[in-house]
Amino acid sequence: MKKRTAKITALMLASMMALAGCGGNGGGSNSGSNSGSGDSAKAEALTDLYTWETQAREVESLNVLNTQMATDLNVLTNLVEGLLSNDKDGKLIPALAEEWGSDDNGLTWTFKLREGVKWVDKNGEEKADCNAQDFLTGLEFILNYHKNGGANISMPGEMIVGAQEYYEYTKTLTEEDGRNLTTDAGSKFLEMVGIEAPDDYTVVYHCTSEMPYFETVATYNCLYPASQALIDEIGIDAFVACDDSNMWFNGAYLLTNYIQGNEKVLTKNESYWDTESQRFDTVTIKMIESLDTGFQLYQAGDLDRIDLSESNLTTIYNDENNEYNDQLVEKRPDKFSYQMHFNYSKMNEDGTPDENWNKAIANTAFRQAIYYGLNLKPYLARTNAINPLSCENNAYTMMGLVYMSDGRDYIDVVEEKLGLGESDGETPRRVDADKAAELKAQAMEELSAQGVTFPVEADYYIAANNQTSIDSAKVLQQAFSDCLGDDFIKLNIGTYVTNGTAEVIDPQLHSFVVNGWGADYGDPQNFLGQETYGEDSAYYSMNYSNINDATDETLINTYKEFTDLVNTAKAITDDNDARYEAYAEAESYMIENALVIPCNYNISWQLTHVNDYTVKNAPYGIQNYKYVGWETSVDAYTTEQYQSFASGSGNGASAAE
Amino acid sequence: MVKYTIKRLLQSLVTVLIVVTIVFLLMRMLPIENFFTEDQLIKYTEVQKHDALEKAGMLDSMPKQLVRYYGQLLHGDLGESRRIQSGQPVIAVIGQRFTVSMRIGVISLGISLVLGITLGILQTRHKDRLMDHIGTAYTIFVNAVPPLVSYSLILILGALVLGIPATYSTRNPGPSSILPIVCLSLASIAGYALWTRRYMVDEINKDYIKLARVKGMSTKSIMVKHVLRNAFVPLAQYLPASFLLTIGGSLLVERFFSVPGMGPLLTDAIGKFDTNVVQALVILYAVLGILGVFLGDVLMMLIDPRITLTDKGGTR
Repeated sequence: MKKRTAKITALMLASMMALAGCGGNGGGSNSGSNSGSGDSAKAEALTDLYTWETQAREVESLNVLNTQMATDLNVLTNLVEGLLSNDKDGKLIPALAEEWGSDDNGLTWTFKLREGVKWVDKNGEEKADCNAQDFLTGLEFILNYHKNGGANISMPGEMIVGAQEYYEYTKTLTEEDGRNLTTDAGSKFLEMVGIEAPDDYTVVYHCTSEMPYFETVATYNCLYPASQALIDEIGIDAFVACDDSNMWFNGAYLLTNYIQGNEKVLTKNESYWDTESQRFDTVTIKMIESLDTGFQLYQAGDLDRIDLSESNLTTIYNDENNEYNDQLVEKRPDKFSYQMHFNYSKMNEDGTPDENWNKAIANTAFRQAIYYGLNLKPYLARTNAINPLSCENNAYTMMGLVYMSDGRDYIDVVEEKLGLGESDGETPRRVDADKAAELKAQAMEELSAQGVTFPVEADYYIAANNQTSIDSAKVLQQAFSDCLGDDFIKLNIGTYVTNGTAEVIDPQLHSFVVNGWGADYGDPQNFLGQETYGEDSAYYSMNYSNINDATDETLINTYKEFTDLVNTAKAITDDNDARYEAYAEAESYMIENALVIPCNYNISWQLTHVNDYTVKNAPYGIQNYKYVGWETSVDAYTTEQYQSFASGSGNGASAAE
Repeated sequence: MVKYTIKRLLQSLVTVLIVVTIVFLLMRMLPIENFFTEDQLIKYTEVQKHDALEKAGMLDSMPKQLVRYYGQLLHGDLGESRRIQSGQPVIAVIGQRFTVSMRIGVISLGISLVLGITLGILQTRHKDRLMDHIGTAYTIFVNAVPPLVSYSLILILGALVLGIPATYSTRNPGPSSILPIVCLSLASIAGYALWTRRYMVDEINKDYIKLARVKGMSTKSIMVKHVLRNAFVPLAQYLPASFLLTIGGSLLVERFFSVPGMGPLLTDAIGKFDTNVVQALVILYAVLGILGVFLGDVLMMLIDPRITLTDKGGTR
């Protein structure tokens, strides 16, 4: 009996060990060449990059034409190449298109494609040439309701002649007829839609109006190519739901290993057109549970970069002896410009209008008192505990979106028009306590006469399950109290359970929201066009500010004036400087009247072996996560090195190759 | 036995059908905005939203959707994932995950059983002495410390000190499974030890044990042949379910170590309004749960001949 028991136990343990050792794809050890710090004797640059993404941001679709999710596109931009890309300053650079331009102020755009670009499978085997026909196929697929289900049609539908009409046309067809549509000569697609391929390496787009910014749309996936040969081979349904096993690649990397919730391995595509580019042999994207777990992986040398949570950041920052203390580096801002959007037609929970708030927020002095009086520094510290003022945002449009011909950033022009002074390093530049006090008194006098009672109650909603947001909201609440006084405005924090849009925004319960907008294309219209009066395409006006439901004549006239300024700028298509100047005029008018109040940028801290100042950085499009041209170092960068990178004096480190 | 099995099978089918229907209706009662991502809510026009809902059949009446879903089920079609892995068959989405969860879960279950029961036996044999106190302290520690804290400690110890891979890798599944298995086993070992000790202490105080002692049986023999065997009966009832439900994985451990298993799938699918995946998982878990209870009853009957399933109308 004893022997038998021992045998059974041994067998069980042996089975467990065997089970532990088998399964999976048996890819050998996690050797790679992950170079953590302290390995500098071997090489200076990383040849393999180990980076991360949180599990909540896992890829959902690998079809570049179908998805609009940033999380998907951050990976797909490495696998499929489009017409144009961006450099580290956000400027347009060639990708599949070698040359491009417009001779008629942006009404017609011609892209000359490079020759010899190949579609390959995940093993790197060549499958087909990538040429102009693929761009026709890609656009037809997007615009065909029965193929792509309406995903990704917003921009082409608005910008390309006949695109919206073609989409509507496909909806009238049966599924079978819709799916049989092609881009062949004489097809309905070519007949209706303003795109043509005069030869194998030229694509011409006809825009619905003069669009000097259309070239920036060429960095976005709505104009990406698709191979008809692949669609024919695997079928439309499989193409829509394509995965790493059956998709074709023409980008910088192949997706050679993809395990949902675990990791993705991108391997250098030897057939990529830009063979001279700096690329890694492999890029491994590990899915991590949280930044805290990620930090532990970074410590173990399993990651080459990690963003720091507030607790990790303060722990390292406050301990000079911490091994990472001199390696804390500030990230570049992400592509979102955050704003405080007021609701001009607020409702109470019982569905009646909140007259007190609606009257108050329609008053210019009331809004301006908030604009000049509210010191957001403590709130900015929630995003960036060490250097909160680096998150200070004074414009509506995201920095770096467009530049004047003399190299000035567009938002510098806006700030000039706003008359903002130099930063004193202590207080946000627009804060003016004296002016705010005057405006507060003026607002209280004017509004009291209208029957408004003080303090005005403002309702601010955040997700009930998001403790970070709740903490930030409390800081904002305190800032309102400290800066504007409890006799003027009282901020109430409300929560929603699952869906802010359904529970708060649609019933118009919010007094304001703080929202970030990331551009789809490189023109101020994409920002300012969201705030105009009486236009269905204005996203924030239609959904958040509800300005079209407001009744205050002064407020409406201010909005109409702003809208006129925007449309004046939009009409200038032959001179970008004049166009941007006019947009800056509109934007400064909007901010001076505090129709919307700029809030913050998102700039956090990290530990990294990557020089972010060599990474593609555009506030629009999908190019920023392309692992091409990155400078890296086997030793983590120091704070000092990053400061020199930021000031433009650093020479970076070695390249990947 | 056959009659009992058929009866239980029919009851189970009805139960699964009710569960599936309730979950189907609950998912449809969520606000329709959940169908879209925040990005889509911002970027889609009303026409696009309408088109997307129409294409997904979400604009049909509830009974029509339900009938369609039953029809799909009858054909063995669980549908396609909408967002977890857009367009992929649900069966494939689940299939590639459950083997990972089950492998890690079964190993962990095995280790937990061996170590947990052994610890329980040792605690019983050395009741109120050092070994018992150590076991009790371990049980209290495991239950008192929040799991994420103990996982962090294990990660730091395992990865930074011992050099064990910190996250799971399908390219290196053996070593990278160690930390998840250790974490999974921690609580289970304590659980099995606790229950084994409890049942064995109950047994050891019974009269038949005293009789066995008086008859001169050795302590070891009493412990193995009588005490453990009888104490194992209530434990055995839960073993099949524990085994089958390893397929379900562990939400916390799999998230923490990036194990691509089943653990987080249900919560992710609910969060992403991936109705087909939610419904498939509910069916799976319901079936496994029912099967586990049934097999538990059978196992108890096999271990303890005094228990019958039919004559007395069931076990409990």
